[in-house]
Amino acid sequence: MRLIAPILLLVLALAASVSLDRPLPPADFIVIERSDCYTLDPQRMSYQHELRRARVIYETLVNLRAADCAVVPGVAERWEVSPDGRVWTFHLRPDAKWSNGDPVTSNDFAYAWRRAILPDTAADYSQMFFSIQGAAEFFRTRTRLLAEYAARAKESEVPPTASDAELLWQQTTRAFEETVGIATPDAKTFIVTLEKPLAYFLDLCAFPCFAPVHRATVDQYTSIESATGRVLQRHDWTKPGRIVTNGAYMPTVWRYKRDMRLERNPHYWNRDAVVANTIECRTIENPNTGVLSFQSGGADWLTDLGPEYKTEMLAQRRAYLERFANDVDAGLARGADLDDIVGALPAPGADERRDVRGFSAFGTDFFSFNCRTKLASSGANPFHDARVRRAFALAVDKQQLIDRVTRLNERVATTLVPPGSIEGYPLVEGLGFDPARARDELKAAGYEDRDGDGVIENASGERFPTVDILYSTASPRYQNLALAMRDMWKRELRVAAECRGKDAKLYKEDLKKGNFMIARGGWYGDYGDPTTWLDLQATGNGNNDRGYSNPRLDAMLTEAAAETDPAKRLELLAACERWLFNEEMPMMPLCTYVTVYMYDPSRISGMTGHPRLEQDLSVLGRRESPQ
Amino acid sequence: MSAQPNSVAALIAVRLMQLPFIVLAVYTVTFILAWSVPGNPLENPEGRRPPAEIVEAMKRQYKLDDPVAFYFDYLGKASGASYVLGVHDRAFDLGPSLKQPDWSVNEILGTGLPVSITLGLSAMLIALVIGVTAGTIGGLRPGTPADFATQLLAIAGISLPSFVIGSALLMLFAVKLGAFPVGGWGGISYIALPALTLSLPFAAYISRLVRFGMIEEMSADHIRTARAKGLPRWKVALKHALKNAFLPVLSYLGPATAVALTGSFVVEKVFAVPGVGQHFVDGVLGKDITLVMGVVLVYSTLMVVLNLAVDVLYRFVDPRLG
Repeated sequence: MRLIAPILLLVLALAASVSLDRPLPPADFIVIERSDCYTLDPQRMSYQHELRRARVIYETLVNLRAADCAVVPGVAERWEVSPDGRVWTFHLRPDAKWSNGDPVTSNDFAYAWRRAILPDTAADYSQMFFSIQGAAEFFRTRTRLLAEYAARAKESEVPPTASDAELLWQQTTRAFEETVGIATPDAKTFIVTLEKPLAYFLDLCAFPCFAPVHRATVDQYTSIESATGRVLQRHDWTKPGRIVTNGAYMPTVWRYKRDMRLERNPHYWNRDAVVANTIECRTIENPNTGVLSFQSGGADWLTDLGPEYKTEMLAQRRAYLERFANDVDAGLARGADLDDIVGALPAPGADERRDVRGFSAFGTDFFSFNCRTKLASSGANPFHDARVRRAFALAVDKQQLIDRVTRLNERVATTLVPPGSIEGYPLVEGLGFDPARARDELKAAGYEDRDGDGVIENASGERFPTVDILYSTASPRYQNLALAMRDMWKRELRVAAECRGKDAKLYKEDLKKGNFMIARGGWYGDYGDPTTWLDLQATGNGNNDRGYSNPRLDAMLTEAAAETDPAKRLELLAACERWLFNEEMPMMPLCTYVTVYMYDPSRISGMTGHPRLEQDLSVLGRRESPQ
Repeated sequence: MSAQPNSVAALIAVRLMQLPFIVLAVYTVTFILAWSVPGNPLENPEGRRPPAEIVEAMKRQYKLDDPVAFYFDYLGKASGASYVLGVHDRAFDLGPSLKQPDWSVNEILGTGLPVSITLGLSAMLIALVIGVTAGTIGGLRPGTPADFATQLLAIAGISLPSFVIGSALLMLFAVKLGAFPVGGWGGISYIALPALTLSLPFAAYISRLVRFGMIEEMSADHIRTARAKGLPRWKVALKHALKNAFLPVLSYLGPATAVALTGSFVVEKVFAVPGVGQHFVDGVLGKDITLVMGVVLVYSTLMVVLNLAVDVLYRFVDPRLG
C-alpha cells in the first residue's frame, strides 16, 4: 500500500537520527549549570562557572585549597622569594604532566602568561599580570607597534606581506624577553620579577588565568595576520580530542549548551586525591526545568537555584534545621562540618527539606552614587557632595530590605569586602541606619524643608532634584529594591525619586556614560585581597562606574601597595575602607550576595562554605554509603 | 492520466535549480533584518569589557564594520564559492559564532541539528498516529460522543500553548510519576515528553483534516458501491476512504515537518532540549549575525528540500498528479 511509504520514510529517518546520538554511560557526579562555558582557554576566561571548571582542568603554579583558601603547592612543589619581595622562584615538580604525557615545563607557563598579556588575545584579565615587571610596558609597546603597523599599511600602496608581519612579531617577542620579568633558566624553574612587592602574588598565581597551556597544541592554531600584524588565534583547540590539559580532569565531550564531560586525567600527579572518575556538567538555562531535573534525581548539584524557589525552599530548610536544632548545635560544638551533621539526621518530613543551602558569596550587592560634578543631562549633581551621599545611605533600612524584599536572609553589608573572606583583614564597619543623622547630613549640605511643603529645598528655594534611580530589568530583585528605597528616601528625607528600569545592555550604557544619580551595582572579588574591592574606587579604574575620584584615596592605595609588612598593609587598607564607607560613601553597600545551591548533604560531600565560595569539583562526590 | 516517465526527474531538476535563488532571497532579507538590529555582538553586557581598540580590531577581523563586505564574504564562505575559487580553506564554512568565538556555527549546528531533527521527526510520527486515529474515529461516526471527544481534544491541542502543555506533562509524568527524566537529551526516555508536546498541535490539525476527508469520502459514490458489494464498513473505511482522506494530510506533512523541525524553540526551552531553536533565538537576541545567518541558510535549504520530498512522495502515492 503506497500510503505507508511516507510513514515508513519518517520512521527510517527517525531511526537514523536517533542512532547518531547514542547516550553516554551515567557519570559519577552530575552538575547542572545555568549557562555553558564561554571558553576553555584559561587566558580568555572570566565567568565564575568557567573558572570553577578551569580549576580542575588546569593546574596553576600553586592551588587554593577550597576548604580554607590556603595556598598549597600545585605544579610548583616549592618556591622562594627574594628578601626584597620582588623575585619569585618557582620549582616545578618533576612529575607534573600534561594529559598526553608531556612534562609541564616553565616554558608552558611563560608562553601562557605572554598570551595573557598580549593585547591581541583580548584577555579580560590581562591587567592582573601588570604587577609583573615590564608587563604593562610590554602591553603598551605591542599596542603601539600594532597601531604603527596599521598606519603604515594604510599609507603604503602595497599591502603588507607575511614577512612584514613576521618581522613585527619578532620585534614583539624580543620586547617581551627584554622587558617582562619572566625567566625560564631551565625547564623546571620559573622566575618572576615583580614591579614591586605584592602581598597577594601567590593568590594571583592560583587564579585560572595564570594556568599554563600546552604550547605545541596552541601553536598549531595560532597564526599571524599579514594585513594587521596581529596574532590570530583560532579557538577550536579547546575542544575534546584536541585540548591537552594538566589538571585533575580532561574534557572528553563538550556539546554546545548541552553538556561537558570531564574524565580523570591519567597523568595528573595528584590523581589519588581526585574523588569522582567522571563529572558531567549539564547546561539547563530554564531555572524551572533545572529544579525539576534535580528533584527527579537527574543531578547531584544544582549550582544556581532560580529566584522563584529560593525563599520558600530556604524556609523549608530552616524548618528542618529548627526541628533538629539540638543535634545541629551539638555537632557544631564538636567542630563537625554542617553538611556531615545535617546529612546524618533523619530524613526531612513534609514541608521540610535539607537539599538546599544558601551560602554567603564573595560578592557584595550595592547601589552606586554618581560622584561626578555634573550629570550626563548637564545639570548640577547633588551627589557630588559626600554629605548628600551619606544622607541617602543613612536613610536606608537595609535589614528591612532583606526581610521584605530580597528575602534570602542575606547579611547586611555596610562596607564592600565580605567579612571573614580574607585572612588577617580586620572587620570594618561602615554607616548603619540612622534617619535622624541622615536629615542632619542633608541639612548640613544645605537642604531642608524651608517652606513646610513636605519637600526639601536649598538656600535659594530650589527643590532637591528628582532622584533618578537606574536599575537593570534582568531580575525583579533590582526593581523591587529600587522601589523600596525610593519609598524610604521619600519618607525619611522628603525627596522625590523615580525608578528607571533598563534592559541589561542599555543599563550598562547609561552606567558607563554616568547617566544616573543612583544605580544598581554589584561586584564579585577576583582574588583574596582587599584591593580586588577597593581598587574599584580608584581614579580611572575601568569599573569605577561612579566616576569617583579622590586623590586622597589614590594616595592611600599607593601607600598600602608600598608597605612591605603584610599586617601593616592590611591595616592601611582597612583604614582606607573605613574612611571610604564612613566619610566618602561613593556607593551604598546593601548586603553580601547569597548563592543558593541544591544538593543533598546525605548523599554528597565535599562542599565548602568558606566566604570566598570556591567549590573544588575534584573533591566533590557521592558519599560511599548514603547516610 | 498516466504520469510521464521523466516528470519526477524534471520536477527535482527544476526545484534544485530554484533552490539557490530561494535561499539567496531568504539570506538577503535575513541579512538586512539582522544587520539593522541595534547593538554590538562583541560586547558582553554582564562580562568585563575588552578595551576599545580590541573591539575595533575584532570588528575588522569579522568585517562587522562593512555590511557589503560582510554580506559577500559570508555568502562566499557559506555557499562554498570561496572554496571553489580557492580563496578559503573550507567549503560551507558558516563562520565563528560572534558571541561564542570558541564555537563555529558549523559545530553548533552539528550538535544541535540532529537533536532538533530527532525531536521534529518523532513529533510528526506521533502526530500522524494520534491525528489519523482520532480523525478516523470522528469521521466514521460524526456527531457521536466519540467524535465530540476527539474534536474537543483537537481544539485543545491547537489552542493550548506548548509551554502550558509541556509544563503540565512535565509535572505529571516526570515529577509526580517519575516515569521520564527531566531536562537534557540522550535516549528514548528523554525524547517522549517533548515530542508529545510538540506533536499535539499537528495531531489536532491532522485529525481535523482526516475527519473532514472521511465524512466526505464515506458519502462518495465509489464507497457506496463498495458497501453495496457487501464489504464490511471498517474495510471500506480503511481501504478506500482513508486512502483519499489521507491525501490532504500528505500535502500538509511537508510544511508541517519543516515547522516541527524549526519551530520547536518553546518546547526546547521548557524541556531543556539542546536543539537549534534556542541557539537561534539567543543568536537573534545577542545579534550573533553569523549564527543567525548560518541557521537561516541551513533551515531554508532544509525547507526547500523537504517540500520537494513531499511533492515527490505525493506523486508516488497519487499518480494522477503526474
